[in-house]
Amino acid sequence: MMAATVDFVEADNAEAIISRIEHKSRKIESLLKQSRPVEALKTALEGSPPNTRDERCKSANWIVVHRAIMAIKDLDALFSSLDPEYYDILMKYLYRGLSTGDRPTCDQCLRIHERLTERAGLGCILRSLADTMNTV
Amino acid sequence: MAAVAVHQFAPCITCHAWSPDRSMVAFCPNNSEVHIYKLSEDKWEQAHILQKHDQIVSGIDWSSRANRIVTVSHDRNSYVWNYEGSEWVPTLVILRLNRAALCVQWSPQENKFAVGSGAKTVCICYYEQENNWWVSKLIRKRHNSSVTSVAWHPNNILLATTSTDGKCRVFSTFIKGVDTRDSKAGSSSDSKFGEQILQLDLSFSWAFGVNWSPSGNTLAYVGHSSTIYFVDDVGPSPLAQNVAFRDLPLRDVLFISEKVVIGVGFDCNPMVFAADESGMWSFVRFLGERKTSSTGPKYGSQFSEAFGKLYGQSKHSINNDGIDNSRQRGGVHENCITCIVPLGEAGSSTITRFSTSGLDGKVVIWDLESQQDLLEYL
Repeated sequence: MMAATVDFVEADNAEAIISRIEHKSRKIESLLKQSRPVEALKTALEGSPPNTRDERCKSANWIVVHRAIMAIKDLDALFSSLDPEYYDILMKYLYRGLSTGDRPTCDQCLRIHERLTERAGLGCILRSLADTMNTV
Repeated sequence: MAAVAVHQFAPCITCHAWSPDRSMVAFCPNNSEVHIYKLSEDKWEQAHILQKHDQIVSGIDWSSRANRIVTVSHDRNSYVWNYEGSEWVPTLVILRLNRAALCVQWSPQENKFAVGSGAKTVCICYYEQENNWWVSKLIRKRHNSSVTSVAWHPNNILLATTSTDGKCRVFSTFIKGVDTRDSKAGSSSDSKFGEQILQLDLSFSWAFGVNWSPSGNTLAYVGHSSTIYFVDDVGPSPLAQNVAFRDLPLRDVLFISEKVVIGVGFDCNPMVFAADESGMWSFVRFLGERKTSSTGPKYGSQFSEAFGKLYGQSKHSINNDGIDNSRQRGGVHENCITCIVPLGEAGSSTITRFSTSGLDGKVVIWDLESQQDLLEYL
């Protein structure tokens, strides 16, 4: 009985996270319509749920971040206004993007990866690789 | 130049230690031997070879008062070497390990030494006068993976350990008959042997290299995620700071004063970290010169080639550095620095000289006398 209760709570929590992500998604669509892709990306990266093990939550957030990443056209604008606190989480999502194998996604992620590495250094890459607890 | 002396002793060095008068250096050239070299008239000459271990010697420490060398190896053994006459005589210490020994350090009073191992245990060894041998007491609990580094607190009782399970732990190593209960020392002297005082869960990846500040108030250790952790007021309510930095991970750290820490690692160049007046730690600068190529990608040698191939896909031009590709990354060391050893008076609170050794087989002596900007931090 106890185990079932715990699972129920976890699922509940996942539902809450997913509905937050859906809310985020609507905000991002509106930001993209206003040609504010950098803010869209920041919104997507904010509140990323790394400490849940639930794959549905991670996938849901990835879809939202992917949308924002693909909408970036001006890399200079991105890096002049993206705060350093987002670098590590962005790097994790870039690697997720690179792992999809999808040509347009990989091209875009590679483009951003080059600039991000220049800005954040190799340590940023290390942090996304070495952290096996908080994965995206 | 902060690097005042560089010497290539071997193709690769795993660890090193200095004699009390700093005239001799002992190191392991990545095999089962320990070589001792003596500096005479500006030339290094091989003085002794200690051959007893069967596998790589992973840790060496040379006590400054008793002039004893302790060595530990992947062969699960440890030897304490005493200088008698003109020879180094080994005494086997039975550690009771079933995995490799990875690191060793003499305690501040040199009556004990600690060994970290791949058996998820820490051995605390002390000398038993009646039987004329070194006894090993094991701390078996708590660690979930290999113990990569050990560091003694100045009070000779507390020991900090780092492990590949990502955690840094502080234990009491109080041994009846060896240590005395100091009524003034407070909580540390009330603890039993092997009792865990503190566990720090700051890193999400392997932890290496731990060191205490001269007063014992602050602890620093590194994680493989290019992060260094500083913990003030180690005790029931510690204050932790995570400093993430731009470059490759560190492997070892050394406090050269209460407020300055030197980190060494995969960038082949020592990194200086300092705390400001409010106690906030941050990266100051690299110690050695960094080779930056004038044009093209910002990363030298192996990285520019790899990145060139990676980014070449997205139609960027691949900059061919040509000859520059074969040059070293950091400057003085050409490969990862794995070991940093202080060269001051034992127990002094400020150190301005220290040495580093690395996988490139070099031992480099650094002196901060010429680094005006850093001397202010001390």
